[in-house]
Amino acid sequence: MINKKEIEKLAFLARIRLDKSESKDIAEDLESILKYVQKISKVHTSDVEPLFHFPELRNVVRKDEAKTIDRDTQKEMMGMGKDKDDYLKVESIL
Amino acid sequence: MKTIKETQESLRKGEISPDELLAQFFSRIEERNGEVNAILSLLEKKAKEIGEKDEKAPLYGAVFVIKDNILIKGESCTAGSKLLEHYRAPFDATVIEKIKEEGGVFIGKANMDEFAMGSSTENSAFGVTRNPRDLERVPGGSSGGCAAAVADEMCNVALGSDTGGSIRQPAAFCGVVGFKPTYGTVSRSGVMSMASSFDQVGPLANNVEDAELVFETIKGKDHRDSVTSDLKRKKVKKSIKVGVPREYFVEGMEQEVKEALEEAIAKIEKEKEIEVEEVSLPHTTYALPAYEIIMASEVSANLARYDGIRYGLEFERPAAQTIQEAYLKNRGEGFGKEARRRILLGTYTLSAGYYDAYYIKAQKIRSLIAEDFDEAFKEVDVILTPATPTLPFKIGEKVEDPLAMHLSDIFTVTANLAGLPGIIIPCGEKKGLPVGAQILANRFYEDVLFDAAKRFEKAWQK
Repeated sequence: MINKKEIEKLAFLARIRLDKSESKDIAEDLESILKYVQKISKVHTSDVEPLFHFPELRNVVRKDEAKTIDRDTQKEMMGMGKDKDDYLKVESIL
Repeated sequence: MKTIKETQESLRKGEISPDELLAQFFSRIEERNGEVNAILSLLEKKAKEIGEKDEKAPLYGAVFVIKDNILIKGESCTAGSKLLEHYRAPFDATVIEKIKEEGGVFIGKANMDEFAMGSSTENSAFGVTRNPRDLERVPGGSSGGCAAAVADEMCNVALGSDTGGSIRQPAAFCGVVGFKPTYGTVSRSGVMSMASSFDQVGPLANNVEDAELVFETIKGKDHRDSVTSDLKRKKVKKSIKVGVPREYFVEGMEQEVKEALEEAIAKIEKEKEIEVEEVSLPHTTYALPAYEIIMASEVSANLARYDGIRYGLEFERPAAQTIQEAYLKNRGEGFGKEARRRILLGTYTLSAGYYDAYYIKAQKIRSLIAEDFDEAFKEVDVILTPATPTLPFKIGEKVEDPLAMHLSDIFTVTANLAGLPGIIIPCGEKKGLPVGAQILANRFYEDVLFDAAKRFEKAWQK
């Protein structure tokens, strides 16, 4: 069901690098899980609505007000160690 | 082990001082945690805040262990993942704020399966947690550290999270009470998301009364979690009807578990004002497949935020050539095997061409499962089921077989699919290991659930 090319594509879409032996293992695991979940295809659901949320729950809303967050808090929120002037610093990647 | 209210009494009467209470737990942790590995980090300063608490506060004397995916400001919060090894929480989760206000304190953060994905706590980057009842066996998961800590008296209560059974299955395996509230009753602000349409926070405790007390404190609408709702009090009946679903006593169940449940049912049948009858939940067999698909889909979206740049990953690495390469490398090295598996599965079920056949189909099955319960709750007040299909299994027994591992949650995922509250109560022992029973009630019927749970708990302690 899942060939080598497909698992490589999935891994790229998910941004997870897999080494070769592992991609074979994981492809096998996914196959067995997909085979198991296939079971649901037998159920007739043409007149059933998907359950995305429960009828009793309503969105909690609040006023859309801007709040200023100081740089230290911002840095903490992002969990990033380094900063320079008004910027958060990330590893150079280019 | 004393209830929280009994502990409060002892503290107020001066039979024990707050320092002595803490010392008991600290020495237990020191003595046992090397073997059990329930606690990842100790919170000595936080625990000592007990000295500043109001003696009349409802959670005074409650000493909590907190699952390591719930934020406590300034403290480490790893979610059992190497990716978050260096992460420090920038704020308190709403549930933490509420517990603090009501007099509770925190003694440690608990080990867990990475990002709450697992049923054995073997998927933690910081080593496996052992079941205090038998150190060769798993404590269940993903809140295995919490369940083990409560069972081993390292604290008197814990807070976990439950996406498909992560509070309830370990509670059953360790012989403690574990409660997953109705979806939307407890705020998840400051709790790391796994599968957002299932995730709920709830207590692991020594008894139903303590679990209820904690729930009363942490529940309620929160503007920081947009699906939260306030509960309306429900009328508790004097005489209750208990439904036992026949579909929960068939496939792949261990004989010992089946026997223990039958004995437990026989005991409550003898009680006054409890009537037991069979009910049917015909789509049960499709619950775990539907759960697997929806859970993995939501996981793949939620865990996209862990890119190795935010949240404090500090890999020694040569700079990657492209941003893609940096992501591939960080996420490839940072996530453990089960997390990788589930992210990839969810990427598959959400991808073009498969989305309708898997994700939408599973959401339709979810409707059918919720409707099964709606029908059943027209006839009965609560539903009684086994907690798990097996006794606690051996460490290593299922870790290489993801499907066998996932089957461990077969009786717990339905409550998440249908949004129901569910509680585990120890109902007996087989081969020296605990067996748990699960009680389910309709959405927002917590009052009815706790009333039934207390009656059953009493019957099973006799």
